[in-house]
Amino acid sequence: MRFILLFAVLLSHVAYAQEELSAKAWLDNMSQALRDKQFKYSLVQLQADHIRPLIYLHGLVDGQGVAFLEHLNGPPKNAVRVGDTVTFIEHDQPAYSVHTNRIPGVFPAAFAGNIDELAKGYQFVLGGRSRIAGRPGQMIRIIPQEDDRYSYQVWLDMDSFLPLRYDMLSQQRQLIEQILAIELVVLKSPPELLIEAEKQEWPPVVQQEKRHDGQNWQFKWLPEGFKVMTRDHHKLISTGNAVEYIALSDGIANISVYVARAGSTPLPSELMTRNGLSMVSERVGNAEVVAVGRVPAVTLTKLAKSLTLK
Amino acid sequence: MDKLGQEWVSAAVDGESDANTLAELAADKSCHDQWRNYHLIGDTLRNELPATIDLDLSARIAMAIDDEPAIVAPQVQSTTQADESKSKSKVVPLFKQFGQYAIAASVALVAVVGVQNYNQTDAGVNTAPLPVLTTRPLVGSASPVSFQTEPSLQQQEYSNEQVADQRRRVNAYIQDHMFQQRLNPGLEISDNSALPKVSGH
Repeated sequence: MRFILLFAVLLSHVAYAQEELSAKAWLDNMSQALRDKQFKYSLVQLQADHIRPLIYLHGLVDGQGVAFLEHLNGPPKNAVRVGDTVTFIEHDQPAYSVHTNRIPGVFPAAFAGNIDELAKGYQFVLGGRSRIAGRPGQMIRIIPQEDDRYSYQVWLDMDSFLPLRYDMLSQQRQLIEQILAIELVVLKSPPELLIEAEKQEWPPVVQQEKRHDGQNWQFKWLPEGFKVMTRDHHKLISTGNAVEYIALSDGIANISVYVARAGSTPLPSELMTRNGLSMVSERVGNAEVVAVGRVPAVTLTKLAKSLTLK
Repeated sequence: MDKLGQEWVSAAVDGESDANTLAELAADKSCHDQWRNYHLIGDTLRNELPATIDLDLSARIAMAIDDEPAIVAPQVQSTTQADESKSKSKVVPLFKQFGQYAIAASVALVAVVGVQNYNQTDAGVNTAPLPVLTTRPLVGSASPVSFQTEPSLQQQEYSNEQVADQRRRVNAYIQDHMFQQRLNPGLEISDNSALPKVSGH
């Protein structure tokens, strides 16, 4: 299937002009470009009342992906990825490394991943064209199959297929978050900084506790495209409360579901941060089910209600 | 146009006529040109003429408006749609009701002091506990959080400690959610062929 698709994409390249590409093919090309191209981004991230300028570098050094993210405002906050190890360098704590294959926070993980996975929960629609960061961009809408999560828009550079702008929109089509490229430079060789970073000795990956499988909680209903990624039993970091934990993801939106013994005071049934993060709580007997994620609160409520112990 | 009429106009231009006369004058269309001319003469005498004289601005504006293409503006969502979305999501209404209850901006900004050993019995097997980490996402922290509870009246009865306890627990869950995004490699849709691990049911 993949080969057929790849072939189709290649064929469409050769046979037709770029205009003939489907929305899905554009996104496949984007995913490829984010992994294989070498580039330097100047980005701005906009949220409700925050504007954060960022620099993002990506290159291939000795056959492995190396990336660097730097916050330009405020206290120094950087992340370096060499292969599948990400090291966070922040001003208020010693640097530490985590085993993961992307730096969180720039574009969604799914953008550099398998677009087929994303297609289970979203439709892709070709939009108009506009000029962003001095480059012509093709807009692709990423629309949820059901009205149970937020929708996205991404503008891709028509030469390199790299994303130039990324919008997260609420169901009322209000902007929740935007990542906007100010400058994109596609490079032929990896930037010096990344070559240095690859040579550098980074702190060893922190060993996570072996996670114990949680109880067999089942969802009677899951939004289309969402999968259970992890389930375990751990303690909340700040309060030490033991929780059953289930992580769900559809590639863009990540949801955490917790089951814990209910506290003496009921939690707010619904809560929302201004950057789109919702939290709901549902009391079931003497337990509380809490769901957190960047999806509409109604979806979380529905999820929390559908949880049963098998 | 008689002489008398011209005098009326002249008097009106000079501001020497009463309201009745003015009303009559306004009704008499033939006097309008004279009115304009007198004003023009007055302006000339007082040396107040503009660089270009637009003798009939109002008519030209009226013509221009007629020529104007119909304004093409995006249609506002139809009301049925608006109603529908209102009932479907509480995102916006919630925002508006936030006044009720405000949690400090610290929600996601609170640094995590340490990571618990999830399972003490395995301490021998496992390596040192995780270093001090923050749950602040690398890009973007949660903005000030507000919330409302149901029923809201009941909420008022909570004591300060109970409210503090609520906040602490809300913070703990949000922190942990953000923390998982960083720590949990399982949350990735993996790079290529390998599909993400799905736990067996």
